[in-house]
Amino acid sequence: MAAMTHTETDGKQGLLPAIPAGLRAAAPVTILLVLGFLAPLLTVAAYAFATPRSFDVFRSFTLANFSAIFDPSNTVWMSFAWSLAYASATVVLLAAIAYPIAYGLNRMFGKWSGLVGVLFVFPLFVSENVRLYGWVLFFIKNGVLDGGLKWLGFSGGPEVLYTPGIILFGMIYVYLPFMLFPMSLGIAMIPRDLVDAARDLGASRFMIWREVELPLAMPGILIGMLLTFVLGAGAIAEAKILGGQSVIPIAQDIEVAFTYAQNWPLGSALALLLVAIVSGLALYVLSKLDLDRILGKR
Amino acid sequence: MMKISRRNMMQMMGAAAFAGPLASATRAFAAREKELNILCWEGYNSAEVLDPFRSSQGARVKAESLTNDPTMINRLRAGETRIWDLINVNNPWARKVMAPAGLIKPLPRAEFEPYFDTMLPEFKAPYRWAMSDDGKDLLGMAQRFGPYSFVVNTDKISKATAEEQGWDLFNDASLAGKYGVQESDDWNVFNIFLVAGINPFKEHTEEEFKAFAETAEKIFKGAKMVGDMASLNQALVSGEIDLYMTGGTYSVSPARADGYPNLRAITPLKGPIDGKGGISWIEITSTVNNPELSPLAIEFLKYVQDPEVSHTVAFAEGTFNPVSQMGDPKCFELFTKEELEAIQWDTLEEDMARSAEYDILPDYDKALELMTAAKRLRG
Repeated sequence: MAAMTHTETDGKQGLLPAIPAGLRAAAPVTILLVLGFLAPLLTVAAYAFATPRSFDVFRSFTLANFSAIFDPSNTVWMSFAWSLAYASATVVLLAAIAYPIAYGLNRMFGKWSGLVGVLFVFPLFVSENVRLYGWVLFFIKNGVLDGGLKWLGFSGGPEVLYTPGIILFGMIYVYLPFMLFPMSLGIAMIPRDLVDAARDLGASRFMIWREVELPLAMPGILIGMLLTFVLGAGAIAEAKILGGQSVIPIAQDIEVAFTYAQNWPLGSALALLLVAIVSGLALYVLSKLDLDRILGKR
Repeated sequence: MMKISRRNMMQMMGAAAFAGPLASATRAFAAREKELNILCWEGYNSAEVLDPFRSSQGARVKAESLTNDPTMINRLRAGETRIWDLINVNNPWARKVMAPAGLIKPLPRAEFEPYFDTMLPEFKAPYRWAMSDDGKDLLGMAQRFGPYSFVVNTDKISKATAEEQGWDLFNDASLAGKYGVQESDDWNVFNIFLVAGINPFKEHTEEEFKAFAETAEKIFKGAKMVGDMASLNQALVSGEIDLYMTGGTYSVSPARADGYPNLRAITPLKGPIDGKGGISWIEITSTVNNPELSPLAIEFLKYVQDPEVSHTVAFAEGTFNPVSQMGDPKCFELFTKEELEAIQWDTLEEDMARSAEYDILPDYDKALELMTAAKRLRG
């Protein structure tokens, strides 16, 4: 019996010479992880092609959900447009805001840079919703800002709560760390020698930034941009809590489809489209990126 | 004596590794005796309600709260009848949807009907929403209820004016930018029909849908904010808004209990639902048609009928609500004056009398689509 088992094992080894033992040993966990990652995505994808307002997943196939989305009378494109516009605006503004901070963390704050870095990480320990409700109390009528200004004898604070503008503020606030740290990593990769050499060769401060620092920090900057864009496109809490739903982002349409409308197939189709748009853009950006450089394998 | 070699030691370990999960599976199977899963609106999932039951029964009780009925019912439809033992949703679903679809099973009538005798007068057996369509089966137990129309700050709009004007307040151009809308989209559909002067609980004509869409657009354009009930209460307190729909004792009671009795749930004097302008809800808790239904489901339903537990349910975390068991003097006397004020006990009976009971909209899907489109025009 023991001998037979042994022979069988040998036979298997002969059949699978190319797979290293380590990989074979890791196979169960790998399969579990791949399944855990793919199964929910595949289910969503399958639901997107199921009969509208049904639970006939894997049993029906129809394009009705997509034709409903692309129907000219359907205004859901507005939600896509708002989400992508907010995500783009967040990326552009955050790039401009985070760059000086990232530069400071690497080059100027010296021994304080650790503390400053921690201060930017610290809010991540508190739930996003709690922080946003905190901002509501800050901006609300007779709240911290309005009440404080009135107490000081001014006429009161600006009426910014529940407007589209405050949503952008909320997104910039929430996603700042996601732009800052990859960007900081990018700037940290600029060799000091190159900057010194450029200066010795007579380059102006602006030229050094444009020709040396920016291209070398670009991988980090792009990763930060990618991360904030992906997160921003799926943002919902800022529009709900700070914006008082003055704008409906696509994530909210997906949520309504899964809850009040109980149209899981439609919600899945919307989610699939969002994934396609965002991952299409992400893949495009990644194709322009040299990952080896980011990982320092030059 | 059998000699244990390293090899058969390994074999034994291997066998144990296989048998282990199976053994625990049988244990889990048997443990349905001491396990209870509840799908409910918030309140029943609070530790104050569950912990005494857990310790007295030595049971593992899991309760998940959701904030709309359709999601809970579709969880059962999607195959979760094997998981849940009790489902707690609003009045029409047990009788009109879950029982016909075989998602719930009837309660032993003789055991549970006597509980209705001590409830408030309108709940006397056979209580319509607790019964099957043919009136034969008892489908669930009633507990929390309340009127649910809109909420005003009575410092800005008096109770009398609000009741007299009713839903027309939301047609008043001078109040544009001064009201909020709660994000419970199903109830907003009912309310927008009411603002348009149309009975929501019937089939609607194209003409009526047109009026609905126009009203929805106007309501959302004029709304200062759309948000959850905590945000809306906060906005009322701070003065950002003067009133909000959808709201009632359920949504405003926490603010009233916090010392803002000027915020008040209003039920219009009249309206298009056979003369009624308000809408009310009554929760019905039913046993799920689970093939392995936990025996604790029945025990829990009996447990929450107890006067003290009923009082705890009424004032569980989140929202505060009247309960049908207040008809029993032993339960009623547990409510303090402040608690009765928080749930607007003084006008509860008349508010409920002026409210139609929440029902299922035959053309809800179309109305929701129109309303979602109207919402998008805000930005």
